Amino acid sequence: MVSSSRNLIIAAIVIVALIAIPQTMSSYITYVVALAMLYAILAASFDLMAGYTGPLTFCPAAFYGLGAYASALLTLNLRMSFWLAFPISVVGVFIFCVIIGYPALKLRGHYFAVTTFFLGHFIYLVLLNSRGLTNGPLGLGGIKPPDDMFGISFASMNANYYLILFFCVVIVSFLMVLVKSGIGRYLIAIRENEDLAEAIGINTTFYKVLAFAISGGLAGMAGSLFAHFFRLLHPSTFTWMTSEMVVIMALVGGSGTIIGPVIGAGVITFILEFMRFAPEWRFIIWSALLIVILVIEPKGLMGITRRITRRLRGGQ
Amino acid sequence: MRDILVVKNATKQFGGLTAVKDVSFSVQEGMRLAIIGPNGAGKTTMFNMITGEYKPTLGKIEFFGEEIQGLKPHSVAKKGIGRTFQLVRIFDELTVLDNVLMGILAQKLRFKPTEEQIYEADKIIKTTNLQKYRDILGKNLTVSAKKRVGLATALALKPKMLLLDEVMAGLTHVEIEEVLQLLRKINSEMGITLVIVEHVMKAVMELCEKIVVISFGEKIAEGSPQEITQNRKVIDVYLGESKHA
Repeated sequence: MVSSSRNLIIAAIVIVALIAIPQTMSSYITYVVALAMLYAILAASFDLMAGYTGPLTFCPAAFYGLGAYASALLTLNLRMSFWLAFPISVVGVFIFCVIIGYPALKLRGHYFAVTTFFLGHFIYLVLLNSRGLTNGPLGLGGIKPPDDMFGISFASMNANYYLILFFCVVIVSFLMVLVKSGIGRYLIAIRENEDLAEAIGINTTFYKVLAFAISGGLAGMAGSLFAHFFRLLHPSTFTWMTSEMVVIMALVGGSGTIIGPVIGAGVITFILEFMRFAPEWRFIIWSALLIVILVIEPKGLMGITRRITRRLRGGQ
Repeated sequence: MRDILVVKNATKQFGGLTAVKDVSFSVQEGMRLAIIGPNGAGKTTMFNMITGEYKPTLGKIEFFGEEIQGLKPHSVAKKGIGRTFQLVRIFDELTVLDNVLMGILAQKLRFKPTEEQIYEADKIIKTTNLQKYRDILGKNLTVSAKKRVGLATALALKPKMLLLDEVMAGLTHVEIEEVLQLLRKINSEMGITLVIVEHVMKAVMELCEKIVVISFGEKIAEGSPQEITQNRKVIDVYLGESKHA
């Protein structure tokens, strides 16, 4: 109980700091933090699937892209309000994930991972080549910021930042409650031993598809927020490189913890931004850093934190 | 006693290979039945058809008069058939208590385990003699303790029938005695029907009232332990073979 109230205090401090950023920092920092929060949503939703349920997915960026394009096209072509397009695109990606996930999740282990890898690339190619719809490699511009709501205008970057912050907090909290709930228990059972989980009466197919679809739907939500924040979409944002980045953020943060991948997203986004001065060294340095972290502690930053707190308490 | 499980002409083919051919037998409520046979005879395939891992190519499987062939394993489990696996399967990263609780919670989705459910899990842990391992992670247990955790998790489903796949393999004599005692207790006190696949003949003879012998996928004999030990066919394919070995 002590540690949970301490964690709440830490979370409150972090949220307050995030609220203060647009007021105190430059617009560049605000922009980077907003991106980091979008990545945090992606990494946390990825963790629901890979960290809790087990199967490794390599396509979070594809669902991110689908959500972004769906929401942008609904507002541009159908003149829909953001507040309608946003839930529609999230539900749309969710349903898409159910349709894809049901057959794909019959595969296990590497086979499923490879399938998602190609699915991700396939969706990227569709976004790139459907020129009539997505404007292909020229990018999709002219996306409007979210419409005014409750008398708040979302035209400014700062307002958009707060919108992303709000959904980031809501989604991460939702996932943390979800994994502690009965559904989370079932997912852990599936991760630990799928055959046994099935044999004791858990409908493993249903819960795997559910986790995959929730994970994808939340990535789509991040995509929709991204589209109306950045206001210009290009297929190259949604390549496998982005998926890989999400996977690495989750691993570095510590998968199977939800909050670990969120921290990982923050840390990695900043490492990459700080190293902008040396573009050619950026990926080399941080790849080396990644290997070092994973060799020292396979459970990522969360594992390291746990070790330190245990040592400070004098135990083990 | 009425029939709890009826297997009618079950056949399972994998491509051109017939693993189980036209096997029929029935299990009466509250009885202890063993399926024996040489390695590769199709015992585990038979098990997997009952638990829903495999759908029989032909034939019917009835549980309390209801056809269950072709149901998914989780639905079969909900009907009241618990099982353990030949290669022991437990949740490695969970404590023994959480393993057993998972069995209880799998029956009905709820946010958190209740006090009663934890009490119930502790009762099962006590029955299976796992008290001293209660808070130890599954992966850190000995083989014999892991097997008992597998059994405890299956018991947590409150099954009407338990299928035990080689629950005694690899155990010492003393451990086998313990498991036998435990199985008798489960059978008589909890009223759970037992169907076991087993290679430890001594245990089978001591525990079971009825034995079904399978060889090369076909049923060659059925009867009490005395009948089976005197059956010429069985001695030829099974016991005879092991005498020469």
